[in-house]
Amino acid sequence: MAGAGGGSNDVQWCFSQVKGAIDDDVAEADIISTVEFNHSGELLATGDKGGRVVIFQQEIENKSQPQCRSEYNVYSTFQSHEPEFDYLKSLEIEEKINKIRWLPQKNAAQFLLSTNDKTIKLWKISERDKRPEGYNLKEEDGRYIDPNTVTALRVPVFRPMDLMVEASPRRVFANAHTYHINSISINSDHETYLSADDLRINLWHQEITDRSFNIVDIKPANMEELTEVITAAEFHPHQCNTFVYSSSKGTIRLCDMRESALCDKYSKLFEEPEDPSNRSFFSEIISSISDVKFSHNGRYMMTRDYLSVKIWDLNMENRPVETYQVHEYLRSKLCSLYENDCIFDKFECCWNGNDSVVMTGSYNNFFRMFDRGQRRDMTLEASRESSKPRQVLKPRKVCAGGKRKKDEISVDSLDFNKKILHTAWHPQDNIIAVATTNNLYIFQDKVN
Amino acid sequence: MGQRDIISYETSVRRKSGIRTAAKMCRLDVESAVKGHEQHVNIIPSSRYMVGRGVKRKLSECEDPTLDLPYPQQRQMVLDLCLNKLQSCQRRAEPSLHRSVLLANTLRQIQREMRQEGVLHSLESPPPAPSLPQALAAQRQSPEVAPTPSDRPDTPVATFSPSPLCEDDNAVSGCIGLHKRPWSEDDGKSPDLLLGSFEITNSTSYLTDLQLDDIFEDIDTSMYDPSDFSVLACPSPRVNSGSSLGSDDNLKAFSSSSALQVCLNDLDHIMEILVRS
Repeated sequence: MAGAGGGSNDVQWCFSQVKGAIDDDVAEADIISTVEFNHSGELLATGDKGGRVVIFQQEIENKSQPQCRSEYNVYSTFQSHEPEFDYLKSLEIEEKINKIRWLPQKNAAQFLLSTNDKTIKLWKISERDKRPEGYNLKEEDGRYIDPNTVTALRVPVFRPMDLMVEASPRRVFANAHTYHINSISINSDHETYLSADDLRINLWHQEITDRSFNIVDIKPANMEELTEVITAAEFHPHQCNTFVYSSSKGTIRLCDMRESALCDKYSKLFEEPEDPSNRSFFSEIISSISDVKFSHNGRYMMTRDYLSVKIWDLNMENRPVETYQVHEYLRSKLCSLYENDCIFDKFECCWNGNDSVVMTGSYNNFFRMFDRGQRRDMTLEASRESSKPRQVLKPRKVCAGGKRKKDEISVDSLDFNKKILHTAWHPQDNIIAVATTNNLYIFQDKVN
Repeated sequence: MGQRDIISYETSVRRKSGIRTAAKMCRLDVESAVKGHEQHVNIIPSSRYMVGRGVKRKLSECEDPTLDLPYPQQRQMVLDLCLNKLQSCQRRAEPSLHRSVLLANTLRQIQREMRQEGVLHSLESPPPAPSLPQALAAQRQSPEVAPTPSDRPDTPVATFSPSPLCEDDNAVSGCIGLHKRPWSEDDGKSPDLLLGSFEITNSTSYLTDLQLDDIFEDIDTSMYDPSDFSVLACPSPRVNSGSSLGSDDNLKAFSSSSALQVCLNDLDHIMEILVRS
């Protein structure tokens, strides 16, 4: 599988690290709800159901060793969102972090946007490794010295101290969404960003918190006529006027903000006609798109619905250019999956650095990679059993029916409680972060 | 470790030498120490290994038994599931609009199909009045859907209806024996009203629109005293919310059953909430 560096050598994925508690008793607050690398790949942020953000920083473990591997260690942890109660509607607002997006780095500090269902916050993460010492009028602990005892003048100097990483909320963007926020996306203009809920998309300026522009509104006048909701939205990586949003009916609309202030009329509508032979009661539910991601080069976009990953060329609206089946063996199980609610699971997907491979999660802690160039796919598992340092992951195979071969797993043995919904790929290297329910696995390609 | 008792905490300290002093706060900081992980684990062939694990939850009912059922039964099962889910959807602390819309669309699709096939009986269901139950639903903490219709009169599903009036009306309107499955407009309405309730909870104008006293003057709470009550109603999909309790003679047509007690308790609960507010 071609890696970020190109070439035709197969990448072998090895276990690198796992973060999180080992015991099987999962506290609900620890469930990971989002994973995101920053633009350099040096930082890896996770958000959880308890409203916390944990940031890991890549450190080169040991430069002298030939097999030097980089490790991610905790850099900062902070409570981003707290649970709230909306008294008007008598509804709890969950503190679960739905999305984290990093801002491009402009100075020494790092900035990220994190959002729960209703409120987006801009966090500044900065390092401090010096502190002023020797104040003229203050003690070291801050108390003021009696001025009568001061006989000399001295100017404080900066002295090195232990590195401290501070996270502080710089902006709070609140009260702009009636429905649950599902996406945030930072514009390539480095000034604005969008936030999308079930029915509306708002455009914000990063500096202004008391105003936002509504750019998409699909709320019908009569809510009883509602049949479609927005499920994800993203800005184009280079064109600051272009964004897309996906719907629960499996369509993607591309909008151009130059056309009008309210982008209710799309510029392009991407929709694949339904395959009549696959029609079932659940056709609509499984066609609902759970994630949409532009490729890094901006020419393609990828969508994830319940059973497949589709790659669309932005110039062709009537069908995707590539379709990959993630777990087609589930198609005959849709009724059971509907019963146990798994059919509503929202899987995300991601591109590798050079857009040659895409990745998404599945059940039983499996995740899938599709090599677009070589037309090959791989199934891997994130498990404690394959967690020896630098252990090469063995490809897994699910037996759909008939005689099960050795090492294959039958569909009925799959654990539907173990789902991988969130994955992220380092922007340059072959390093991936895969989130199981409460653990974060980091895999890297095999060195030499 | 690192559970909900983490209060606002904005800094972590990290020493350059690599020793982390704030490790306690970082629940993701636990490296799984797989040193000397039992070697024999790798020796177990994977087929046995999977079975031996024992924690995997098998896909419920194994192979989809529904595939064996004839199409109408399949459809019926999906329909029932749909209605159940819509109800439980509304009872959650956080109703998800996305999920509700998907369920409602599936429901509508099945109903449309059934109607086309002429399966539905056109019962004399009076024209529904959507605004009233919506408004009353909004008064409550969590708006709720019309009760699941049941074609087995002895096991009605204990559910809420969007207004106590409707409930009473259902009590009035039917005898158990009468009930087929009065779908049609009512169930077509339930997904719509469900979505309507998402709207109403966001607006406050309904309070000025309603003549609340008019609604409440019809309610005779004496009938909800369980000790006095000798007859109970089978909850059916909300028929007409607008009409009052009306005909006392219909009340006499009821028969009681233990299963229906649950419905009465629900009614009690509804009344409590309304009276409190």
